[in-house]
Amino acid sequence: MAEELWRRRDFDAHRSWLAVDPNSRQGREARRRLSRADQRYREGVRRLERGEPGARDALLEGVAIAPMDPALYLPLARACRARGLEVRAEDYYKKFLRLRPDHPQAPAARLELGALDPELQGIFEPEPSQTPAPAVPIRPPPSVSLVPAFAAGAIAFAAAVALFARLFRRGLPLARLAAESPELQPSIAYLVSSVRHELLKHRIGAIGDAVRALGKGEATAEQRAFLAARLYGGEPLVLAWRGHVRAFERALGPRLDLRRADRGFREAGRAIGRIAALERALAAGDARAAERLAWAHRKLLELDADLAALATRLVRTTVDEVLLEEVVREVRSEYAAGRVELDALVIGPVAPGVSVEVFRFDLVLVLKNVVRNAILAVGRSAPPRRIALDVGVELEPTGEEAVRVRVRDTSTEALTTEAIYERRVDRGLGLVTAALTRYDGAIEVEAGSQGWAKGVTVRLFRALQSSSGVAS
Amino acid sequence: MRRLLVIEDGSEYSDFARLYLADEFEVTTARSASEALRMLAAESADAFLFDLRFDRAEPGTLVGDVDATARRLFGGDRGRALRYLQDQQGALILAELRSAGHAQPAVFVHDFPERRLANLRQLYGSVAAVASFDARAIGALLSR
Repeated sequence: MAEELWRRRDFDAHRSWLAVDPNSRQGREARRRLSRADQRYREGVRRLERGEPGARDALLEGVAIAPMDPALYLPLARACRARGLEVRAEDYYKKFLRLRPDHPQAPAARLELGALDPELQGIFEPEPSQTPAPAVPIRPPPSVSLVPAFAAGAIAFAAAVALFARLFRRGLPLARLAAESPELQPSIAYLVSSVRHELLKHRIGAIGDAVRALGKGEATAEQRAFLAARLYGGEPLVLAWRGHVRAFERALGPRLDLRRADRGFREAGRAIGRIAALERALAAGDARAAERLAWAHRKLLELDADLAALATRLVRTTVDEVLLEEVVREVRSEYAAGRVELDALVIGPVAPGVSVEVFRFDLVLVLKNVVRNAILAVGRSAPPRRIALDVGVELEPTGEEAVRVRVRDTSTEALTTEAIYERRVDRGLGLVTAALTRYDGAIEVEAGSQGWAKGVTVRLFRALQSSSGVAS
Repeated sequence: MRRLLVIEDGSEYSDFARLYLADEFEVTTARSASEALRMLAAESADAFLFDLRFDRAEPGTLVGDVDATARRLFGGDRGRALRYLQDQQGALILAELRSAGHAQPAVFVHDFPERRLANLRQLYGSVAAVASFDARAIGALLSR
């Protein structure tokens, strides 16, 4: 029956697979396949989130093995939305909300779905509790006839409150969204880099000398021409600015509120508007226009400096106990890795104050794959089943430092560095190599010692601050 | 006159030194670790001025084992390992000179992070750096 539901592509088939008696042969087989499929589905979602090729293949591999955990419909929906696949995103949001209406993320999913298509707002609100309806009197007493009017009034009031709250509810400023949603950080860094490079650097930063000269009444004809070309030539500044703001909103979703909640963007928007309005006055040599331009220019440079600092913060990740605990917690919450009974899982020692130039989301992804692989491997081996994570720093002859995150285990399963790089092992580890390559990092299998069968070491260069304050 | 050995893969550092430091130093140039060691064996120097990146150098002249570096730091990727050795060659040549007993003051024109400069000093003794071609600052550091 469970198999039949899956073959018919019933999107609730996962539940029927889990319902098969786990002590039966079919139940064990079902769980084994669910676990294998889960890895493929998760990889597919991850690839989709990161815009990497192979997402479809990974998802199809999962489909070929077993049904998908409905909880994955939400990240899948978000990944589709981030990639502009709005129709698919809508479909996955709906599936998620139908199957997991009480999931902690369901309220957020409803909001996101509503933002995709306002007509769907409210459709997936939780069902009211199923209490028996009271018997309707055939002829109510006169006093009871006020109830419908009162109820209608209450509903209208609630609707007005909801509308008011919706109209005046503010989302998050960019920095807070980045802090709360590490999975969005690579996209945020990309968008920040685009607006800084295309607009704030080339059109605003470049006119600094001319703006100062104009303020002092000393601008040459060349400087005036240069300034006019940068501010008023080509695509109108206001449209360029709106384009960037919309790009942020489209990619990062409805939780972001750049226009109202983000002070830097709000003031920058005002500054852009002011610059646009100054074209004629500046051309006429109006001194007050030069002052206003200086104000607007300063506001935009302030935003640029804030965005630069944000980008640096985003890409820098501290490798500490908190990070390792998060990695372990997330892996242990997964179906397969959570079922392995470990004799010990030790975190530490961890070298203090160590950071790397890697998005936190990516580093967690890498370490989760290594830890998951170790846990599943010890689960397939005889006891004792032990895992240990530690972080050290190695001084290179160039004066640089390599951060070494090591995951040791007691599994007797063979694993080599070459097997990882040649993708002859679990594809999650293959994904690790791709991620590490982007950050000039490496993964290496080392022989075990002192009671450990082996250690898998991830090496990344330590992030150091240059004397001029620029990350080096 | 004091002798300055410039170690670089082009001629920019030597041209700069001859232009701005000629009053204090007689400038000679080496383009690899082995050439520097040969020159120092023939005639000592009072200070070293280092280029860090040697991206124009022939791979065969570089200090460092491409395969070992690739294995340990770059997942076996020899291309990235070679670029890394080129990018950091100045520091690696300094290591070679120190191993051979040449402890003269060394100056890099590079914006090193403070911690990295401290590491270089811990490894190689007298090492200083300036962020740009500032003749007065470089001259002062070389004369210390």
